[in-house]
Amino acid sequence: MRSCDSVFPWSRRQWLAVAASGLTGVARAAAPSSKVALARCRAYGKAVTPALRRMFDQLGGIGRLVSGKTVAIKINMANPLLARTGHTPAWFTRWSHPDVIGAAVQLFGEAGATRIRILESSTEDDNPLEENFLIGGWDPAPLLTAAPHVEMENTGSLGYGKKYHRITVPEKPYIYPGFDVNHSYVECDVLVSISKLKEHLKAGLSLSLENMVGIIPPAIYGDAAPYDDPSPRSYGARTMLHTGHRQPSATAPAEVDQATPREFGYRVPRVIADIVRARPVNLAIIDGIETQTTAEVAALEPGDKRQIRLVKPGILVVGWNPVCTDAVAAAAIGFDPMADRGKAPFENCDSMLKVAEEAGIGTRDLSKIEMVGAALREVGFPFRG
Amino acid sequence: MPELIPFRWPAEWKDASRLELIKGTPINCLVGDVRPPFPLGDLQFFPNDGLPADIAVREGAWPRVLLAATKKDAAEAGATGAPWVDSNAGLIRIAQLMEPGKPVWLSTRPPAGKEVVPLEEFARAVAEACTYGARWMIAPDGPFRGELEKRGETGLREWKRVVSALNLFDRHPEWRSWAPVAALAVVSDFAGDNKLMAEEFLILAPRRHLAYRAIRKADAAKASLSGVKAILYLDGAPPEGEIREKFLEFARAGGLLISPRGVVAEEPKETFLNYRIHRLGKGRVAVPKEAWYDPFLLVAEVQLLLSNRENVVQVWNGGSMNSHLLASPKNDRAVVHLIPYSSGRTQAVTLGFSKPYRSARICTLDGEKVVRPVRGQIGTEVPVGEFSTYAAVELEA
Repeated sequence: MRSCDSVFPWSRRQWLAVAASGLTGVARAAAPSSKVALARCRAYGKAVTPALRRMFDQLGGIGRLVSGKTVAIKINMANPLLARTGHTPAWFTRWSHPDVIGAAVQLFGEAGATRIRILESSTEDDNPLEENFLIGGWDPAPLLTAAPHVEMENTGSLGYGKKYHRITVPEKPYIYPGFDVNHSYVECDVLVSISKLKEHLKAGLSLSLENMVGIIPPAIYGDAAPYDDPSPRSYGARTMLHTGHRQPSATAPAEVDQATPREFGYRVPRVIADIVRARPVNLAIIDGIETQTTAEVAALEPGDKRQIRLVKPGILVVGWNPVCTDAVAAAAIGFDPMADRGKAPFENCDSMLKVAEEAGIGTRDLSKIEMVGAALREVGFPFRG
Repeated sequence: MPELIPFRWPAEWKDASRLELIKGTPINCLVGDVRPPFPLGDLQFFPNDGLPADIAVREGAWPRVLLAATKKDAAEAGATGAPWVDSNAGLIRIAQLMEPGKPVWLSTRPPAGKEVVPLEEFARAVAEACTYGARWMIAPDGPFRGELEKRGETGLREWKRVVSALNLFDRHPEWRSWAPVAALAVVSDFAGDNKLMAEEFLILAPRRHLAYRAIRKADAAKASLSGVKAILYLDGAPPEGEIREKFLEFARAGGLLISPRGVVAEEPKETFLNYRIHRLGKGRVAVPKEAWYDPFLLVAEVQLLLSNRENVVQVWNGGSMNSHLLASPKNDRAVVHLIPYSSGRTQAVTLGFSKPYRSARICTLDGEKVVRPVRGQIGTEVPVGEFSTYAAVELEA
């Protein structure tokens, strides 16, 4: 296992556990590939809908995917809700911009979606999601009327559901065999991940794959989750996913092997692969019109030598497969999607792209991905260049 | 008669030269165990046990984020899981409500014993009391007194900030007559079985920047509800008689009445959170399914029933901070007081308002600056920036 060298302080016991799990980096069946569309879109507002429409067409159309279906859209509205990078509203830096969400909702409606549900959890409240838009400073009303039958739900706990639903990793889970999630991620036909084009301080990238961590309810997996039953309210960061310091509430599946490394850089890419295998993403949309570099958070810890820059790459990336889409997006901001642990942007962690590829979710190899629309060299915006 | 601005004179200070400290400041009266043995000039003196009868004195808390005693740099978890904040906002407003017209003085002493109190917290104690229209009986206790006695650089710098806070409010006497802006009216008799829940609500609401106007039940029938979008009737039993009719009329006209069960007879058509929602005319009556028991939960529920759309101030990057919005009678000028309860500088704070403002002046203990409000997706936003201890944001419509 090439990525495990002296940099990683794993115990022999942890080593043996990983080796025994059969997940030592050997690729299983060839990971699937699918088209990814790339487009220049320099500003939010009216330009977004035609750009997205053109990209959907370039992918072959979304009618087959959404017509007559209930479409769930997992947006990215990372906590804390009241944190801003400087004075800049979060939808320019860390969150999926509502104009991108609204354009997608409109186009799904036009393509015949019967019900469209905008979803996000919160680690600090169980407010109706509409309220969390308002807390961020955005009026959600136009989103709710962008198409017929649009709803919102905060999925951090039971939400409007009566019970949690189990999603299961179909084959050889890395960390968790399954997860208990809000009903919205099961009672839908199509799942769309709309994320921001941004880096993650520890996990390297925060794109459509990493966005899926947000489907895990803090009521069960948060710092304040009780050990027996889920909390009635959502509260607390999902630290256990990062550290493995405890198991979720007993009603949810525990880890398959608690002897695996308790290290963020090992766990998080694998937890993400488990989540995305248990609840596949059918369409990935990455908002890179405006964003920030370096981190998924609004401010760095004091003394951190890195710097967050507000940037306007002016790009959108859309694809059917989240790994392929994230690989193209990573390349668009100057990273090698084939990079392994130790190389940017995965200096401190295993590559979530590699792990997801090995899990059979999708390929990260650009030579195997059909890219349509704008050329990478035309729209590329290296974050660290 | 000018407003009294008190200072606790240490009994050990028997030298008239100590008066230099308060010379030229707005402080105009001394409080102590014994009268200092030298002429006081224009300064008044009150013994601790002989404060003026027309002043409402309350023993407040030392305003700060409460740090866990055993864990360095770890904040004590509050009811929300967020850091616990000791604030006097609710205490002062309850005192003003129950003893209307009386100046409110806080007799709070800084924490003693082994606890180290950062000297910057003294200016915060002054500013916090002034923000809510009260006065802190400035007590130069502990290491602060030692620093002042030896005229150390740190002590004098922090004393300058204490005086700076007093001067700032002294330059703006109009702020003290302006009224709190709020979409929520909280009505209770604030007595008996209702006292705990009602008072705790007023104490905890500022933690979520939920602005309110508190009204005593006895005054409710005649109280103006101008600008109010929701009434929280915080007694165990529903309102009766004249008040009930007034509140139901308020709801029929489009308002939200949050009241214990029994205020309306009809069956509810819908539920929201833990409330049954009755449609009444153009408005709503929200009745809790179960009796209220957790004041912080109640604050959160009321904010959602009312909606964050009605927040009179939105504070981004505020952390553990209180905001208090007051407006002039013509509503053409306003001020937002900002009190960060953590030490050190804040993050870059931004304020949001549903009302449009054309100019903003930021006043801190270090100086003033004018900033241009910008249009937000909802209303107006004012980039306040970073500051420590206290800031006032003056606004003009």
